[in-house]
Amino acid sequence: MKRRSFLKTVAATAPLAMMSAPVVLSAKEAPKSPNAMDLKTALKTITGGKAVKDSDKIKLTVPEIAENGAVVPVKVNVDHPMEANNYVKAIHVFATQNANVRCADVHLTPMNGKGYFATRVKLAKSQNVMALVELSDGTFMKAEKPVKVTIGGCG
Amino acid sequence: MGKALVKIKPKKYKVGDIVKVDFIAIHPMETGLRKDKKTGKIIPAKYINDVKFYYNDKLFTSMDIWESTSTNPYLSVNLKITEPGKVKVTFKDNTGEAGEKSKKIKPKV
Repeated sequence: MKRRSFLKTVAATAPLAMMSAPVVLSAKEAPKSPNAMDLKTALKTITGGKAVKDSDKIKLTVPEIAENGAVVPVKVNVDHPMEANNYVKAIHVFATQNANVRCADVHLTPMNGKGYFATRVKLAKSQNVMALVELSDGTFMKAEKPVKVTIGGCG
Repeated sequence: MGKALVKIKPKKYKVGDIVKVDFIAIHPMETGLRKDKKTGKIIPAKYINDVKFYYNDKLFTSMDIWESTSTNPYLSVNLKITEPGKVKVTFKDNTGEAGEKSKKIKPKV
């Protein structure tokens, strides 16, 4: 019963969250947020300036059109082993044009079994979502996909 | 802190299977960029920023979460089942509030 009432709460508050947007301003419009960081800086911070190539080993799933910019599902699947000495070490998700592009930095281990992460993010406006993947050997790869937002985070 | 839920999918699994571990928390994930319409004041940032997943007390995933993650954050990763026991997820937000939620792991074989 507890579980059902919990899920009911989540379902009930979701529309409230939608109605109470705007939740995120784009990089140009936002007042200075303490965490404000653009994509270039975020990438440099994480990769230390290393080259990052696009890779089709990263399956990034996002909706082409998001009705509601406050809740956009993002799924990342990395086609790469998860063995003790060779595994997906981290998946970073970026909303490339939000005031703070960072959504999540997920540090994985071989215990995960698969290089997978899913979440829901806020997009201030139509933009690319990026998944930056770090492998245990220190190399990076990325994938990007555009999402059109009809009712923006500023709706 | 707010309620949280840990779900294992599928419900039936054996040792050797890779399952999905879904974590959902009730949390406003305030960005600190919104104004209260009545007072005109900025609603301070309040968001879950640290989530850790443990399998029988071994840390298998840790996450730094930022305010661009949606309200009532949904976070999902995989876990390879090796033994019975439990998955525990601990979470903290930027104001220092913390919580945790566990789910038993009961493989069929």
